[in-house]
This record gives sequence, C-alpha cells and structure tokens, in this order.
Amino acid sequence: MADQSNGMDKLVGYPTKTLGLKKRHRLGESVIQSLLFFAGFFSIFTTLGIIYELGKEAWLFFRLPEVNLWQFLTGTKWQPHINEFGVLPLVNATLVTTAVAMSIAIPLGLAVAIYLSEYATIKVRNTLKPILEILAGIPTIVYGYFALTFVTPILRSIFGRDVVEIYNTASAGLVMGILILPLIASISEDALNAVPRSLREAAYGLGATKLEVAVKVVVPSALSGIAAAIILGISRAIGETMIVAVAAGAGPKFTFNPFQGAETMTGHIVRISGGDLSYDSIDYNSIFAIGLLLFFITLSLNIISQRIVRRFREVYE
Amino acid sequence: MCKNLIVSLFVLLIAAMALSACGPQATPTPVATQKPVETEELVVTEEPVVDPMAMYLPENVTGEIITAGSSTVFPLSERMKQRFEEEGFTGNLTIDSIGSGAGFTRFCVDGDTDIANASRPIKTGEGSETAKCQAIGREPLEFLVGLDALAVVVSKDNTFATDVTKDELALIFSTAEKWSDVRPEWPAEPIQRFIPGTDSGTFDFFVEFVMAPANKNADGKADMDLGEAAILAANNLQLSEDDNVLVQGVIGSPYAIGFFGYAYYQENAGKLNVLSIDSIAPTAETAESGEYPLARPLFIYSTAQIMQEKPQVAAFIYFYLMNVNDEILDVGYFPASQAALDAGLNAWYEATGMQP
Repeated sequence: MADQSNGMDKLVGYPTKTLGLKKRHRLGESVIQSLLFFAGFFSIFTTLGIIYELGKEAWLFFRLPEVNLWQFLTGTKWQPHINEFGVLPLVNATLVTTAVAMSIAIPLGLAVAIYLSEYATIKVRNTLKPILEILAGIPTIVYGYFALTFVTPILRSIFGRDVVEIYNTASAGLVMGILILPLIASISEDALNAVPRSLREAAYGLGATKLEVAVKVVVPSALSGIAAAIILGISRAIGETMIVAVAAGAGPKFTFNPFQGAETMTGHIVRISGGDLSYDSIDYNSIFAIGLLLFFITLSLNIISQRIVRRFREVYE
Repeated sequence: MCKNLIVSLFVLLIAAMALSACGPQATPTPVATQKPVETEELVVTEEPVVDPMAMYLPENVTGEIITAGSSTVFPLSERMKQRFEEEGFTGNLTIDSIGSGAGFTRFCVDGDTDIANASRPIKTGEGSETAKCQAIGREPLEFLVGLDALAVVVSKDNTFATDVTKDELALIFSTAEKWSDVRPEWPAEPIQRFIPGTDSGTFDFFVEFVMAPANKNADGKADMDLGEAAILAANNLQLSEDDNVLVQGVIGSPYAIGFFGYAYYQENAGKLNVLSIDSIAPTAETAESGEYPLARPLFIYSTAQIMQEKPQVAAFIYFYLMNVNDEILDVGYFPASQAALDAGLNAWYEATGMQP
C-alpha cells in the first residue's frame, strides 16, 4: 500500500514540473537507447565468446603431436581414443542425413509455400499456417523417438530387416525433413507473397494458367528468398542434434548407405559430452575441433545465403 | 498475423487445460500412501531408549545426496534410493548414470558428488583417480555392494550363437568381419557390435579380461592399450553410455551382438539371448564362485569426511549395505559375500565413529 501511494504522489507531482519534463524525457530515451545497445552488444559478445572458447580448446587439440590438420580433414577413421583423427566419417554422416532431410523438406516445403501463397483462400491459409508452425515447435527429442520407434520400423518393413539397421541415417534424415519443412515453407511463402500483384496480373493478361503463373512467374521472381530459405534449412539440418543422437547411430562409420547406422558431428559431440568425458583427454578436446568445423560450415552457408539474397534479389518499385 | 497469434494462444490454452486436468488426479495418491507408513514407523522407533544410530535412520536425515557414475550400478542405486525414500527420507537424492570413469572424475576432480558408483575398482598409483582424489583432500572409501556377471547378448532371432570361448569373443569384437570368420558354420553376415562407451567401467572390464589377453605385446603379456585399440578399430561399432541404446541395437538384428551389466539383460530377457562363455552360463552360483569368466564386483565410493559432514550420505550408505541383499537379485545382479559386506560395514563404523 505504501509503495502505491508513493507512486501516486509522483504521478500527481509529475505534470506540475513542466520545466523538468523535457530533461526527464531525454533521460528515459537514453536509458532505453543504452539498453537496446546493450542487447545488441550482448548477442555479439556471446558470439565472440563462443568463437574464442571453441578456438582455444580446438587449438589445444590441433597442437597435440598426434594430430595434424591434413589427417583431420582427410582421414576416414574417427576414434580419438586410439589416435585415429579423420573427421570424414562424421562429416559424411552429417551430409547424408542433411541430404535425406532436404530431399523431403525442399519439395514439400516449396509445394506448401506455393499452395499457401497462390492457391489457398485467406481463410484456409490462416488456419493452415499456424498448424504448420506447430510442427516446428515440437521438441526435437520427441522427433528423435518418433524416428526411432515409428519411422525406422516402417522402413524396415518396407526394405527388409537385413537391409535397414535399427539405427540408421535415413529415418533420422526423413524426420529431420519434417522438422525443417515448416521453416522452408514459411520463409519461401513470405518471399512468394512479396512478389507484386502486377506481375501475376500481367501474366494472366497474357493468357497464362494459374500453374504457369505460379511456377514460371512467381517462383522465379522470389528465387532469392527461396534460395535463402533452403540454405537456412540446410544449416538447420547440419546443426540438428537430438534427432540424430537418438536415431542415427552411435558409432562413427564412413558409409554412404543411408540404411546403416552412422554418427554425425553433432551426434558425436552429444555422446562424448553426455558423461563420457574426462577433462583434458584427447576425446574432450576433439569435440571442440568438431564444434569449430561445424561452426565454420554453418557460418559459410549463412554468408553464402546472404550473398545470394543480395545478388539475385529482384527489387520492385 | 494477429489471427495466427489467437489460434496459437487457443492451442496453448487447450494444452494447459488438459495438463491441469491431469494434475489433481495425480497428486493425492502419494499423500494417502505415505501417511499410514509414517505413523507406524514413529510408534516403532520412539519406544526404545535413545539409540545412537537413530540419527542415521532414513526419516531422521534430510538434505542433498549427489551420486554419479557407472550405468551398471545405476539400477541398483535407483532401487536403494526408492527403498530409502519409502522408509522416510525426505531429502533430494540424485543418481547420474554417466559411466564409472566420468563418475570418478566428478568425485575426484570436480569434487561435486558425495558418492561415486563404479563397476570397477578405483585406479591407484601416480596420476590416477585415487591420486586426484587425494589432491583435493578426498580419501576414497570403498564399499562393495554386489556382483555382476557381464552379459554378452544376442537377439532372440539369433539362432546360431549360444556359446563362445573367450578367444572367439575377442575375435568377434575386433577383426572378424562376418560371423563366418569366427566359426565357418555361422552365417556369412556382417557382425554389428554394440558396446558401452570408452569411459564406462564395463568397457574397461571387457578390455582387461577379454581383449587384452588376446592382444599380447612384444613381451607376450596381455596389453590393455593393444586390446583397446583392437576393439575400437572394429567395423560396425556403436558405442553408448546408455545401456538401453545398446539393448535396442542388439534386439534390432539377428547379426548384432553386445555386452552390458546382467540387470539390463534380465530386464529384456524376453528379447535377448545371453551367451555362455567357455560353456559357463552367467548365474548367481557361477558369478559368486567366480567360475563365470566375466563376473565382477560393483562398488560405491565415498569418504569419511563427507560421511561426517553430511549424515544423510552416511545414512544412505548404511541403509545400502544393510538392505542391498534384499533387492539385488530382483534388480538383476548377485549378492556379494557376507564377509565383503561386513568389511564395508566395519569401514562405515570406523568412518562415522559409531559403535557396531
């Protein structure tokens, strides 16, 4: 109660100090400005901190006499415990799961985006889009067990138990595709929506069908946005962790067969750090090297996507 | 945009309602069951004259007990925790299943756990786990709580393998590509291997007793490092600290093989076959007599200082030692000899300064 009355006094007193009003206003403004600056600075600082920590620990790894960079990047066996440091099996598994995921997410995501922006009525669109976005809100661990206990048995009944292993990159990739689908659909749809009506109307005026307008006019005009969506989807797939940790397998294996188990970069980091680590051991330092490599891969993908957006962007009006 | 928000809010609201509907049904049950137990206990324990051990009764201690370590010991500790709480312990007892090695790291290097669970003895000597413990002022105290017969398992669908020798086992888990490489009459299918991670006591134990003897160094002696290299270089190898991941993997194919603590086999006995080693099947008798080649002790570790500073830790260890044999068979392990348990109890009395 006391607090409240104090507040009231201030409120009552406030308008009377007409002279101080301007100054006070400025103070609030600068407080907000510095808060906003701090928020921006904080996120950049966090990124720098992560780069520093990753770089420092990875340096400890590469400095070891047993390790050399060339062997790290080209070796096909990863078993740090016995001095085998070829990161390719992990990178390969990451690429396989990503390829499987994108083979689901790109066509379906694009189809959904085209449907939502070109064909669906506003009412349908306003119901479908939030439902689609719920897909992106499901915890990835749930997706992981969905892959292991639902998708894998289906794959095994289709292709045979001897062909499809219980842990395999295909089922992890398929489910990852479902996870990424809304991301690609949502960003692509925004890009399609941004294409001005006049373009569509001009095409209709020339006698184009609805399909021709969608595929030959609207999609090419929104290509930069779609490309950015796809690349964002790829970086999401590369960084995805829980699904592959649960369903893709727990041993590094250099194989292109998606029906066999293999461990991705993120899956390996999870397994090694999930209890199975002694500080200052080679295993411990090696996961920072993998982390750094992952960071570079996603960073370069993001840079590429920005370039694409800038270069191929169609500017209207 | 605004409509999206409304729809998602609506979904959230429904979810919240569904959750809150579940809430009240679940909560009253523990209250109902706990009350009669507590009153009965109080009548029994308050009658005798002041008992110095009373301060170590589960209902008389509270606070935190933090334990971490072997995934093999985990189900046993989990069961003892359950019993301990049933007897009236109201504090917070956590058990992390992270592997023996990582358990010792947290106990000896970070020093943030009260008890380390282990499926192998703590390593001694220079730079070892014991030395690291001593470096932070912790003198580890060992309590043997039971025996495990490490189970080598295949899927129920595997109709060919029932009995292997130790040498064959070493071959299966290293250079053999296909089952037919081990015995010609077995199918020419690739072997899929599921083993515990490199920091687990189970892995260390397997390397020491199976892989090392098969991988001798230049002097003709069993070599741990060579054994470790042999098993880790094997193809189709999946490693996990989570034994349930291994169980899933082995069940998944008739050509898969794996090994882990006996409890995980017993829990999944309907889907797994356990192999005999050198024609000896893992049973209570063969584990106790040491006849089964892969029988091994299970430990918990603490220190006298922790037990004095945190009576709840001492109380839990006392409870563990006194009651473990009632539960151990049911969990899937085998009772340690009375002499070993008594030795643990004596160490406990010494550490707490109590009279037996």
